[in-house]
Amino acid sequence: MKPLPLSGGRPARSLPLSRRRAVRPLLRRALLRRPYALVRLCLWSVLEAAPAFLIGNAVARAIEDGFVAERPATGLAWLAALGCAWLVAAVAARQVVLAVAALAEPFRDDLLTRVVSGALRHAGTPAGTAADTAAVTRAGLQVELARDAFAAVVTTVRGFVFTVVSVVLGLLTLAPAAALLVLPPFVAGLVLFLASLPALARRQRDFLLADERLAESMTAAARGLRDIAACGAEDHVGAGLAARVDAQASAARGLARVTAVRTVALAVGAWLPVVLVLAGTPWLLGGGAGAGVVVGALAYVTQSLAPALNGLVQGLGVSGVSLVATLRRITASAPDEPRALEEPPTSDGPPTSDGPPAPEGAQAPASLGSPRGGDVRLRGVSFAYGQHSSPVLDRLDLDIPQGDHLAVVGPSGAGKSTLAALISGLLRPDSGEIRVGGVPADQAPPSARVLIPQEAYVFRGTLHENLAYLSDATPGRIKAAMALLGATGLGAGLDAQLDAQLDPGALSAGQRQLVALVRAYLAPAPLVILDEATCHLDPAAEARVEEAFARRGGTLVVVAHRLTSAARARRILLMDAGRAVAGTHDELVRVSPTYADLAGHWHPEPVS
Amino acid sequence: MRAADRLVTNAVRRSGPWPAVLALASIAGAAGELALPYLAGRTVDSFVSAGSHVSARPAMTWLVACAVVVAGIMLCESAAVWARGASCAHAAARLRSSALRHVLGAGPAATRRFPEGELVTRAGLNAEEAGRAPESVTGALALLVPTVGALVALTLIDPVLTVTLVAGIALILLVLRAFLRATTAIAGGYQEVQGEIAARLVDALSGARTIAAAGTAGRETRRVLGPLDRLRRHGMELWRANASAGVRAGLVVPLVEVAVLAAGGLRLASGTLTIGELYAAARYAVLGAALSTALGHVGGLARARAAAARVAELFELPLTRHGALELPAGRGTVEFCGVRTPGLSVDGLVIPGGSVTAVVGRSGAGKSLLAALAARLADPARGTVLLDGVPLRELDRVSLRRAVGYAFERPVLVGDTVGEAIGLGALHLDAPRIGGRPEGGRLGDWRSEGGRLGDGRPGDRRPEGGRLGDRRPGSGGFVAFERISEAAVAARADAFVRRLPAGYATPLSDAPLSGGERQRLGLARAFAQGERLLVLDDATSSLDTVTERQIGAALTADVRGRTRIIVAHRLATAAQADRVVWLDDGTVQGHAPHHELWRDPRYRAVFQGGAP
Repeated sequence: MKPLPLSGGRPARSLPLSRRRAVRPLLRRALLRRPYALVRLCLWSVLEAAPAFLIGNAVARAIEDGFVAERPATGLAWLAALGCAWLVAAVAARQVVLAVAALAEPFRDDLLTRVVSGALRHAGTPAGTAADTAAVTRAGLQVELARDAFAAVVTTVRGFVFTVVSVVLGLLTLAPAAALLVLPPFVAGLVLFLASLPALARRQRDFLLADERLAESMTAAARGLRDIAACGAEDHVGAGLAARVDAQASAARGLARVTAVRTVALAVGAWLPVVLVLAGTPWLLGGGAGAGVVVGALAYVTQSLAPALNGLVQGLGVSGVSLVATLRRITASAPDEPRALEEPPTSDGPPTSDGPPAPEGAQAPASLGSPRGGDVRLRGVSFAYGQHSSPVLDRLDLDIPQGDHLAVVGPSGAGKSTLAALISGLLRPDSGEIRVGGVPADQAPPSARVLIPQEAYVFRGTLHENLAYLSDATPGRIKAAMALLGATGLGAGLDAQLDAQLDPGALSAGQRQLVALVRAYLAPAPLVILDEATCHLDPAAEARVEEAFARRGGTLVVVAHRLTSAARARRILLMDAGRAVAGTHDELVRVSPTYADLAGHWHPEPVS
Repeated sequence: MRAADRLVTNAVRRSGPWPAVLALASIAGAAGELALPYLAGRTVDSFVSAGSHVSARPAMTWLVACAVVVAGIMLCESAAVWARGASCAHAAARLRSSALRHVLGAGPAATRRFPEGELVTRAGLNAEEAGRAPESVTGALALLVPTVGALVALTLIDPVLTVTLVAGIALILLVLRAFLRATTAIAGGYQEVQGEIAARLVDALSGARTIAAAGTAGRETRRVLGPLDRLRRHGMELWRANASAGVRAGLVVPLVEVAVLAAGGLRLASGTLTIGELYAAARYAVLGAALSTALGHVGGLARARAAAARVAELFELPLTRHGALELPAGRGTVEFCGVRTPGLSVDGLVIPGGSVTAVVGRSGAGKSLLAALAARLADPARGTVLLDGVPLRELDRVSLRRAVGYAFERPVLVGDTVGEAIGLGALHLDAPRIGGRPEGGRLGDWRSEGGRLGDGRPGDRRPEGGRLGDRRPGSGGFVAFERISEAAVAARADAFVRRLPAGYATPLSDAPLSGGERQRLGLARAFAQGERLLVLDDATSSLDTVTERQIGAALTADVRGRTRIIVAHRLATAAQADRVVWLDDGTVQGHAPHHELWRDPRYRAVFQGGAP
């Protein structure tokens, strides 16, 4: 029995716990970070709510003091005042939208930053799988949804509060008795609505989830139509799809049911006051109010209160719920608070002259000091990708002295890339110890080693930016390195235009690898790990690159794609089924039958 | 368009009582809303006049009428909301299910006509929109009733008021149109910057390992977000356009109302209008101004019809027809008789049962097409391909797929877990097809079987697993697991699958797979499925030399003696095969063992010349 791995290094597994709590501070921060915009929003809101305060009074006075009293000029004057209030409110409404935008845009920036940095950090961790384009698009869409929902919630909640305050003040000045008829059913409706909100949110979330599951299944099926046909799995896949379609439809029906209940709340709050005011008319008239006052009270209810409640119901019931849902989704996929990035991004593109990258975040605790040299030492290193999976490495001991050139060979899946990731500190061993230059591998600063993986990273930028990504090499040194590695084809001839813009999509896989290789060659790191980094080069180009790296100085570890890489190395590590043997070519031929068998097939094969 | 309308009408007709409920509730509610201002006005008026008279009985009658109408409105609104959601869900689900069934029946030909994303949009979003057709129809009616009614009522009260209103509405429409034009241009700029950020992020994600190793995640985040400033600028422009248009549109309704109040007030002063009528007139002005929203619903109906047309196009995809014949006993002999199709003509080619046949030729020679024809992933324009004497076209679909396993150069893995993805072809074909999900539970069974698989997230299992729960624990699941792991071992996939976090029960989305690993899972899937014939279309191209040799060895020594057709580029594969089919320019140049063909310099040139 193998003991369970002790390290808890699976960050992606423990995320959902933090989701719930992550949403509220996010919203609070978005609101309070710009107090000036918030104050401006409140001031304009007061003006925007002016008609809500005036409407009942203006109508009542226009009728009572004006038209009924046969002083039409007074009546028209009151209506003109109301019209002016509407004009002022319209101007204020515009400012309100802009003030909300001033809150919503930074909120979007925050979320986008969080999504991007989360995606980049997560993708580098062992649990991370390279996200596809669709996932990126989806994340972008979530951010836009969250921004729109945020703006809608701020707008409606704010509008509701200011309108209700205005209406209450207006009713009290018009006829306090009418306030008694209007406010109780209104409050009842509001309470009913707020009480229905959690259920509504739950249903909405269920629906979003079911809808997303359905979309995922449909995408998977559409992508795999050819394979489904070849496997004769039409019925099986079709039944799975039908189940998801049904689940989505039933979630939609559930949402509709709860929404219907919510509508009752709206009706109680908005319509019941109308009936009560009408029923209370004799009482109001008996209290000395004119018919105009009754009409004014009705105007408050139908023109201000009901639309405000309707807006709140829409705002909280639809946008609010979707805001919480999208924010939970975003915080779950990108849990890190982007504290380091709170200042706005400064420059476009990586700096080209500030030397090897500064160590970032937790990767380089200053107390440990920097490693000396590029020697690597593994002692009893075991690693498995999950608690129940077989170990990829099992108690591996290995010494790679400073200046060594080691080739790692073995069938794919033997753990070669895992070994590379362990040495470069991207993975932490379950047990045992890895030291690079005397420092634990996962605590060594990034400048201690360069890892070039199979999938070369080239970004949109100049050739110079791409090549000097890990160093502050001068153009002269860059061109020399390009010549040495046979990468001159990247520019036009030897006098390559270093400031030419690179389009990663336009480069061949081999060219992209050459960019990554020149970059690694220029890096000042004493340890270079090439993880099948030359697999898209032809054998001659591969030989040239490996020879250049061997002469570069420092320690070189090559995870071999072709067996010919091993022939050039000083020592070879053979990995197969969790075991590993190291030695020179001659030693291995003697002690390892597997290696002897492989060595018999070294002659490069012609390919069509 | 007519087919599309029929599609929607059928879907609506079969969604039970909901569309009818929706229509009734919407129209009744609208009528109630139309009646209420009049009733409220009469109530106020009768109470006012009752003040001077003795009896308040008529006022009470009006009041009760008001209360009844309000209750009716509340009920109708609630019912309409419920019915709207339910009818849309029913209709969309019905449309979607049949569209998806049709697409699956059409098979890979569907992707030739529509790109994947397009298929998903049509079956997803467009089906949803088409399902909203009843909502749009009733919504438009429910708005038109009070709007038109309000205009009529207003005219009855005073024609001058109607003229004031109509002028205002015309203004609203003009403003809205100007707004639509302005936004699309600005939104385009915004979306462009969004796309730029997304493209940068995709770039950076493709270099995730490099970035992690170099510790430059923060720097990359800033680089990806470089265009954020421009995004914010475009965003603010959008807000400004939004705000200005909102102001103009938001002004017109209240101003129209004030104008109607003023005109009505003057009538009131001259004694031709009562206070109650003035109140009603003001309400009708607001209701009448909702005409613009009603037009929006008409637009919704147009959208629903357009969406339905797009869904209907899916149904135009021709379905793949299968015969009803079963395979006789045989060893998997494949014959090409008079096959002619663009890019390939083969006649009289017989691939003996149990043999290993390599298909070689320069790229574009028709190798993949030959492989696809042999497995009926495509049909020839003319001629027949036979398996053990039965034309593939006349074979029953299940017998055909049970007999033939196909491995692709770039397999797409379908299934929730790695194990299910391998068993896609093997595990669902022998089950009787009685509706529902055939044999969904098998993999669930082995989950507990394998011991190590115990913690494969049970929450994700669909309930079908329970259907088979009453079976004797074990047997079926164990056989399935055996079959899959055996195939995985032959495809050299077993070892890396066992190293995944939950082994065979690892969800596909959690399994980081390289191109080579994906290829080996695709191979395992074919090995587990095909009982007589295996077709490998360049299916080992991403594998390193060592692994490819191991798989090649497993293939040559297939204990089940299946016929193997292997499209390959490497010399070793051709040399190890029993016979080689040498294609050039869509015709067979030779069909003989490798060493015989090797004498022909043109054959040798296939392996030496050209780009890799």
